[in-house]
Amino acid sequence: MNFDFSKEEQLIQKAAKEFADKRIAPVAGNIHRTNAMPAEIVDGLADLGMFGIPFLEKYGGGEAGYLSYILALEQLSKASAGVGMIISVNAVGLAVINVFGTEEQKLAYLPQSIDGKKIMSFAFTEPGTGSDPKQLTTTVSRDKDGYLLNGTKRFISNAGYKGPMVVVAKESDTGKATAFVIDKFCDGYSLSAPWEKIGAHGGGLYDVYFKDVKIPAENLLGQNGGGLSALKIAMIYGKIGLTGLFLGQALAAFEEGLRYANEKMHRGESIGHKFEHIKISVADMAMKYDAAKWHAYHLGWAADNYKDPLQLAKEAALSKVFVAETAIDIARISMGIHGSYGLMEDYKISQIWGDAIIGPQVEGTAPLLKIMGAGIILNG
Amino acid sequence: MNIVVAMKQIPDLQQIRIRNRCPVLDDVPLTLGKIDKNALEAGLKIRENAGNKGRVIVVSAGNRDIEETVKEALAAGADEACIVVDEAASDLESSISAILLAAAIKRIGVADIILFGEGSGDNYSGQVGARVAEILDLPQVGYAGNVETTGRTARITRVLEDREEIVEVELPVVVCILADINEPRIPSVSQILKAGKKHKEIIEIDDLTMETSGRRIETISNLAPETARKREPVNTCGALCAVLEKEGFWAR
Amino acid sequence: MAGILIYSDQDPLSFELLTAARYIAENTGAAVKAVSINNHAQAEALAGRGAESYRIDGKEIILEDTAAVARALKGAVETLDTDVVLLSANRRGKELAGRLAQMLDAGCLSDVNALAVRSGRIECTRNALGGATVAVQTVTSKRKVIALSAKVFAAAPDGVGHISDLTLDVKGSGIKLMESRAKAEEAAHIETAAVLVVVGQGLENRKDLAIVKRIADSLKGEVACSKPVATDKKWLAEDRIIGLSGKICKPDLAILLGVSGQVQFMVGIRDAKTIVAINRDENACIMQNADYIMTADLQDVLPELSRALTGTVPS
Ligand SMILES: Cc1cc2nc3c(=O)[nH]c(=O)nc-3n(C[C@H](O)[C@H](O)[C@H](O)COP(=O)(O)OP(=O)(O)OC[C@H]3O[C@@H](n4cnc5c(N)ncnc54)[C@H](O)[C@@H]3O)c2cc1C
Ligand SMILES: Cc1cc2nc3c(=O)[nH]c(=O)nc-3n(C[C@H](O)[C@H](O)[C@H](O)COP(=O)(O)OP(=O)(O)OC[C@H]3O[C@@H](n4cnc5c(N)ncnc54)[C@H](O)[C@@H]3O)c2cc1C
Repeated sequence: MNFDFSKEEQLIQKAAKEFADKRIAPVAGNIHRTNAMPAEIVDGLADLGMFGIPFLEKYGGGEAGYLSYILALEQLSKASAGVGMIISVNAVGLAVINVFGTEEQKLAYLPQSIDGKKIMSFAFTEPGTGSDPKQLTTTVSRDKDGYLLNGTKRFISNAGYKGPMVVVAKESDTGKATAFVIDKFCDGYSLSAPWEKIGAHGGGLYDVYFKDVKIPAENLLGQNGGGLSALKIAMIYGKIGLTGLFLGQALAAFEEGLRYANEKMHRGESIGHKFEHIKISVADMAMKYDAAKWHAYHLGWAADNYKDPLQLAKEAALSKVFVAETAIDIARISMGIHGSYGLMEDYKISQIWGDAIIGPQVEGTAPLLKIMGAGIILNG
Repeated sequence: MNIVVAMKQIPDLQQIRIRNRCPVLDDVPLTLGKIDKNALEAGLKIRENAGNKGRVIVVSAGNRDIEETVKEALAAGADEACIVVDEAASDLESSISAILLAAAIKRIGVADIILFGEGSGDNYSGQVGARVAEILDLPQVGYAGNVETTGRTARITRVLEDREEIVEVELPVVVCILADINEPRIPSVSQILKAGKKHKEIIEIDDLTMETSGRRIETISNLAPETARKREPVNTCGALCAVLEKEGFWAR
Repeated sequence: MAGILIYSDQDPLSFELLTAARYIAENTGAAVKAVSINNHAQAEALAGRGAESYRIDGKEIILEDTAAVARALKGAVETLDTDVVLLSANRRGKELAGRLAQMLDAGCLSDVNALAVRSGRIECTRNALGGATVAVQTVTSKRKVIALSAKVFAAAPDGVGHISDLTLDVKGSGIKLMESRAKAEEAAHIETAAVLVVVGQGLENRKDLAIVKRIADSLKGEVACSKPVATDKKWLAEDRIIGLSGKICKPDLAILLGVSGQVQFMVGIRDAKTIVAINRDENACIMQNADYIMTADLQDVLPELSRALTGTVPS
C-alpha cells in the first residue's frame, strides 16, 4: 500500500497551511468574536483556487482530486472552522450541478463558484426537518413558463453571499422532492439575522424565506421528482468536505493539548513529563488523530478512485461520523490537559471545543448516518 | 532580460525533530530555502517592473529529489528550471555548490541578474553567491533590500547593520537578497498543478567535465544544544554585571 | 604554518580578530599580520595594539565593491605569505568571505561563534540546520577563510607594533556608490528588541519603573511586563505584555524582575537566549527556568543594579 502523497498534493497542503498560518490565524480570534468572515480571507482563498480543488479544469477547477481537497481543508479549518464551512458547502452545490446539471447549466454556474467569486449554498433543511425529505414543506408550483417557490429553509450556510443556491423543494402537484438552482437575492428571497451558533464562527448561517420566487424552467436540476438523488449526491460530497473540516479540529485540539502538556510546569517539570495521566492523554490524542487522519485521507483517495460515486455513500457517511466524533474525543482530552484554563476564551481549546461539537449534528446526525451506513453493510 | 534565481533544496526545518541531541531527518519533506524564496519573489518583481519581459529561471544543484522539490519554485512563478543532479550529493559544501551552479548558469547562456538569498535556510553560510560571482567574474552586491533596473543598469540598496547604501552597476550582476524583504507569494492550486509541466533542464553531474577538487570542510560534530537553562545562582549586583559583561550585553 | 591575516572594515571588530589570530598563533606558531584598506587611522590603531600592520591604498578598492576588496586581500595573502584569513562576520565581512575564499580556492566558515585550536586544527563552532543544531567544523584546505562573530574574543590590549605599506594594483568591478545614509531608528517593539527588562508584580512601587527604565537603557533594551502589571495595575501599556495574551518575544537577553513565571507568561519568553531572574522567592517557578538566578528583594537590588550599570540611580 502506498501512503505517500504526490509532490502536488504536498504543495497544495503546504499552500493551505501557509495561508492558514499567515492570513487566517492572525485574525481567527476576531472571526470567532464577531462571527464574521473578513472579505479579504474569502478573496485570498479564491485567488489560491481553494474553492475549486477537485473540480474539472475546463470549468476553472484545479482538477487536483479529493485527497488534495481534504488535505487543504484540514489545514484551513484548523485555523478557522468557519472557513472550512464556507468552502465545503460551496462544494456541495458544485457537486450537485456537476452530476445533474446539463452542459449549459454547468457552464453557467460552475466556473464562478469554482473561482470563489460567487459562493454557493445548498438548501435542504427546514424548521420541521433536517433529515427527512418526506417532511419537506417548501413547495414549488408550476407557473406559466416555470415554477414558483414558497417556504422557509433553516440553517442554510453561505446564504448571505451572492451566488447560486441549490434548493430541494416539494412539488405541489406530485408531492415529490425536486432540485432547482436559483440566484440568491432574487425577487422574493430574504434572510433572517445570522444564527449565533456555538462554533464554526464566520461560516454564516441563516434562515431563508422564499415568497413567490420565480424559477425559470431551465433551472430544474435533473428530473422532476429527482430531488432525492440530488440529496444523495449532496450528502456524499458534502461529507468529504466536512470530514476534512473536522479532521482540522482534531488536529487543532491535539496540537493545543500537546503544547500545554509541554508548557505547563509543576515543580520544575512540565506536566507532560511529570504526570502519567498526561502522558496517557497525549498517547490517546495521537492514536485518535492518526486513526481519524487515515480514515479521512482514505475517503479522499476513494473519492478519486471509485468509478461510481454512489459506492462512496457508506465510506463518506461513516468516515464523517468517525472523524467528527474523534475530534470531539480529542478536544475533550485536550481540555482535560488544560485544567480550568481551557475553559477561558484566551485558550484556543475553548473555541475548538465549540467547533468540534458541531460535527456529529450537521448534514445528517451521527445516528442517522450510522443507520444508513449499517443498511448498506447489512444488505451487502 | 533573464533573471536567474539560485535556490537550495533543504529539509523542512520546522519538521526536524531532535532525538538524543541528534537531528532526525527521516521522513522530513524537502523544500527550498526561506530566503531563497525571498530571492525568487524579488526576481518576479524585477521582471514585473521591467514590463514582464524576460524569463525567471531557477537553478539548483542537489540529489535527484531536486527534480520534484524544484516544482515548488515553478509553482510560485518561475518559468523554467535548470538543475544539476548529483546522486551522491546529500549535503553539498558551499564551494562545490558554487561550481555546479556556475556550470548551470553558463548552460543557460544569458543571465542578466543572478539572485541568491543572503544565506541558505539550513547552513546560512552565505558564501555561494559570492563564490559564483567570482567564478563567473561578475560584480556582486550582498544584503540587497531593493533592486531596480533601468536598461542595462541595476540600482541596488545594500542594507548593512547601521547603514544603507545605494550602488549602481552594469548588468550582469550577482545580487544576494536580504531575508524577509518581501512576502513570497503562496502558489495557487492551478499553478501547483502546472508546475510539473514547465520546462526543466536536467544536467547530470557526469556530463560536466570540471574539477570540483574535493571537500574543504570537515564536520567534527553536529548536535542540538543543551536546552535546559543553566540555573546558575548570582549573589550580588556586581556578579550580575560580570555575567552581563561576559555574555556581551554590557561593557564597563 | 604560514601566517594569519586579519581584516575588518570595523575597528573594534579588527581588534577582536587580532586577539583571535594571536590565540591561533600561540598554538601553531604562525605570524599575525593585519591589513587596513584606505584607512590609515585603523592601521595605526592596530599597530597601537601591537600588530604588524599593513596599509593598502587604492582608488578602486572601495568598500562597496566587494570583489575589489577581495582582490586586495588576495594580493595581501600572496605577498605576506598567509594561509589563514580571519574576517569579521558582520555583513561586509561575510559578503567578502565567500568571494575571497573562491579566489584562494579555500574552504570558508562564517558566523563562527566559538573557535578553538585542538591537535593543530582550528575548530569552529557555528549554528546549523537553521539553529536546530550546533556544528563544530574545521577547514581542511590549505588556505582557510574564517568569518568570526563579534565578541567571541576580547579586543587586543595596547602594545607596540609597526606599520608598513603594501602596494598592490587592484582593479574595481564597476560598482558605483550613489548614496549612503544611516538607518532610521525604528520605533521600539518588544518583539524585536534584543534585550528586554521585564517587570512583574514583584515590583512594589510604581516610581521604581524609572530605575527599571534606566537599567533597560543602559543595556539598549526595552521595558516589558507580565500581564497583571498592564491590565490590572495599568503601570505600562498593554502592548508591552509578554505571554499568551501578549507578545511572543525572542530576545537575546531577558531580565525578569519579580515575575513568578507562570506558563501563560513563559510561552512569550521561552525562546530567549539568556534569561536572568531576580525574585525574592527561591522556589518561584521562574527560578527553574532561568540561566542566572538571583534571590533578592527588588527594593534593594534595583538601586544597586542601576548604580552598578550606570553609576547613578534616578530619583
Ligand atoms: C453549522 C451548520 C451548517 C448547516 N448548513 C446547512 C446547509 O447549508 N444546508 C442545509 O440544508 N442544512 C444545513 N444545516 C442543517 C443541518 O444539516 C441539519 O440541522 C441536520 O441535518 C440535522 O437536522 P435537524 O436539526 O432538523 O434534526 P432532525 O432531523 O430533526 O433530527 C432530530 C433528532 O432525531 C434523530 N432522527 C431524525 N430522523 C431520524 C431517523 N430517520 N432515524 C433515526 N433518528 C432520526 C436525529 O438523529 C436527531 O437526534 C446546517 C446546520 C449547522 C449547525
Ligand atoms: C487565560 C489566561 C491568560 C493569561 N495570559 C497571560 C499573559 O499573556 N501574560 C502574562 O504575563 N500573564 C498571563 N496570565 C496570568 C498568569 O497566569 C499570571 O497570573 C501572571 O503572569 C503573573 O504575573 P506576575 O508573575 O507578574 O505576578 P505574580 O504571579 O504575582 O508574581 C510576582 C512574583 O514576584 C515576586 N516578588 C514579590 N515581591 C517581590 C520583591 N519585593 N522582590 C522580588 N520579588 C518579589 C514573588 O515571589 C512572585 O514570584 C494569564 C492568565 C490566564 C488565566
